[in-house]
Amino acid sequence: MSEPRSEVRNVGRRILRRSAQGVSTVRRTVARRPRLLTYLAIIGPGVITAAAGNDAGGIATYASVGADYGYRLIWLLVPLTISLGIVQEMCARMGAVTGKGLSDLIREKFGVRWTAFVMLALLIANGGVTVSEFVGIAAALELLHVARYVSVPVAAAAIWWLVVKGTYQRVERVFLAMSLVFLAYVVSAFLAHPPWATVAVEAVHPHFEFTSGFLFTFVAVIGTTISPYMQVFIQSSVVEKGVRVENYRLTKIDVWVGTVLAIAIVLFIIISTAATLNLHGQHVDSAAEAASALRPLAGPYAEILFSIGLFGASMLAAGVLPLATAYSISEAFGFEKGVSSSFREAPIFLGVFTFLVVLGATVAMMPGLSLIRVLIVTQVINGILLPVILVAVLKLVNNRELMGTHVNGPVYNIAAWLTTIAVSVLSLLVVFSTLFPMAF
Amino acid sequence: MLYLSQVLGRPILDLDGERVATLRDVIVRLGEEDHPPVAGFVARYRRRDFFMPRWRISQFAEHGVRLNSDVLDLRPFMRRDGEVLLARDVLDKQLIDVDGKRVVRVNDVQIIEAANDWRVTGADVSLTGLWRRLAPAFMRSGRPVEVIDWADVGYLATDAATVQLKSSRGKLARLHPVEIARLAEAFSYQHGAEIVESLDDETAAETLEEMASERQAQILGDMDEERAADILEHMSPDEAADVLGDLPEDKAEDLLNLMEDEEQSEVAELLPYEDDTAGGLMTTEFVTLPRDLTVGAALARLREMAETPNMIYYLYVVEEEASWKLAGVIALRNLILGDPSMSLEQMMRTEIQVAHPDDEAAEVAQKISEYNLLALPVVDESGDILGIVTVDDAIEILLPKDWRQRLPRLLG
Repeated sequence: MSEPRSEVRNVGRRILRRSAQGVSTVRRTVARRPRLLTYLAIIGPGVITAAAGNDAGGIATYASVGADYGYRLIWLLVPLTISLGIVQEMCARMGAVTGKGLSDLIREKFGVRWTAFVMLALLIANGGVTVSEFVGIAAALELLHVARYVSVPVAAAAIWWLVVKGTYQRVERVFLAMSLVFLAYVVSAFLAHPPWATVAVEAVHPHFEFTSGFLFTFVAVIGTTISPYMQVFIQSSVVEKGVRVENYRLTKIDVWVGTVLAIAIVLFIIISTAATLNLHGQHVDSAAEAASALRPLAGPYAEILFSIGLFGASMLAAGVLPLATAYSISEAFGFEKGVSSSFREAPIFLGVFTFLVVLGATVAMMPGLSLIRVLIVTQVINGILLPVILVAVLKLVNNRELMGTHVNGPVYNIAAWLTTIAVSVLSLLVVFSTLFPMAF
Repeated sequence: MLYLSQVLGRPILDLDGERVATLRDVIVRLGEEDHPPVAGFVARYRRRDFFMPRWRISQFAEHGVRLNSDVLDLRPFMRRDGEVLLARDVLDKQLIDVDGKRVVRVNDVQIIEAANDWRVTGADVSLTGLWRRLAPAFMRSGRPVEVIDWADVGYLATDAATVQLKSSRGKLARLHPVEIARLAEAFSYQHGAEIVESLDDETAAETLEEMASERQAQILGDMDEERAADILEHMSPDEAADVLGDLPEDKAEDLLNLMEDEEQSEVAELLPYEDDTAGGLMTTEFVTLPRDLTVGAALARLREMAETPNMIYYLYVVEEEASWKLAGVIALRNLILGDPSMSLEQMMRTEIQVAHPDDEAAEVAQKISEYNLLALPVVDESGDILGIVTVDDAIEILLPKDWRQRLPRLLG
């Protein structure tokens, strides 16, 4: 009679015998995994992050570029694509090689003082963007005749509650789907019958003006397209996905595909506003005017369509940005973090999150505020603070101890440093022109 | 007591009080001791780093370091095996506090002089420690600090030293595998893998079982193959089969072939089943007993078992010795409380819930939860028992564990 334990083991042997292939079955099972799945498992961070750039501030900025400057700024999209792609790719690469988030790396390589400086810059930039998202919520609902004194506090309370209760992820998709409405700009651009020849010429014909208005818009475009938070986002989502050096190639493709798609949408927003608003000498002073660029497609429903898209995009980012900022800061300084913690356990994490939501809602409710103006100003702040993050990213990505053989190549470095220098100079010019308006 | 942040950048003085260099880093030898001793210093002179051994130092205090000779040895600094640099490898890095079961970031390092030696006693993780490095001296507060005793440091996440130095097996093993897994997942994938590698085979196996399956595959896939096979042997066959299924085909085959025969066959037979079926969920570790056995004999048999499977709360009664035809089930509770002379067939329940290997995983989980079962037998078309799906796997399907909520899943 066999011993009981061996009976247990015999079960295995018996089935093995019956299936008669034993070890060789591994080959079959494993080989069945399709390649496409591997790709889908990795695709995402780049495309999603780039798409997130088209939020309230982005739409307002691009629409006013089209309205004020027609097709003349389209050339900027070419260097912007390269810069955005390079910056995003560097962060994604750092995430894959080190397995760590950007704020982790900044803290570990630069020490406390620089971390404090970079985090302050990030806090201000993200605070500005959060304000812009709440302004977006206000503007979207004002189109539907809901006063912002009602919509903003309700939205802020809802976001705070959803995030702290941990149910935000479930509604996130609804907002994401709503924001896809902005794809309507692509159709609208075609229906407006723009002069395609002019568009093509302007794409290779740089245009620049030394006026404070132009500089302001110029930096806003850069700041909203290459926002500081996007670098933090892409790196942490690459880390979260578990992307590693071995399968990084797919992520690299994903980053560039995302960049090109995002800029393509920007292009169509500019074209459709240029072909409608600019043609009639209109400026974008309110959401209603930005919405009117959708008329060729939606006619009288343009405003409803626009407000759905704006509301979705703004709600999405108004939840994610304060949360991501709180995570970044807590990660960098080693504070307790997580939405499931109580205020006593994670005072700073929840404090930063709550502060940003309250700040955003409060500013958005200030009486007599030009919403579109706020949207653009916050993007300028983004642009001004961008060099701080870019320098940190460049120093990290070129650190051999950290990146080994995956440091930047010379061409990459030149392009990245050129971007950083150009953005820095432009930012200084904007600050200068704001402080001394007489000089311009 | 000294804080590392206070001594870094301080002057190094010779016998005459002449400044000869600047203190760049403090070198510590990590070993078996709870509070590792300072082994020397890295000094910087004219933009070059050189080594200054412990025995050359007569004084080490807040205002700097004093040498006991005028002779300066300008050998360039080279890190030796087993040495850890406090500023470079410890400060600002993360470590596992075994006592608090959490990952913390080192804001400062505490050094205490004891018996003519300087020893690292703790890592300051408080806001006060952060403030000490940020603010000018006059603004420093006397608020209490929160210091992690160095004896409680289970793992140090630096890129420099070797694994054996950074983690102490004994300390991490004080934690439950679930906790180790949660902590390991808070680190980058490289550090997470190091933590698992530093554990003994059994704890490593249990820890891996608690991690997300892609991460299990990554860690085992990158490990030395012999070691990975050893760990796989200690995992429950169903989990091991899942991991192998997640690995590239060649790698899975290599690892499987390195496993001991017994464990290998247990795992191999589970491999053909799809992940999301009853077959993919089931484990082959269960106890069968023939129906004509008495309760007393059955209990005796259980006691004699060299290695009992985890799941012995249900005993599966089969038609006869060495048969697999499922006749009924007895709960261990009834067996213990029952009359020893009674035969199993009198006691067993024959109205039993079963699953078939191709049943969908979600359905199986649903059934387990609906009937409040601890395990559900999986039988083939002829009524032979193939394995059992245990309640823990069912819970995992019904309530996917989401350790990875470290960061919000950004934008969907």
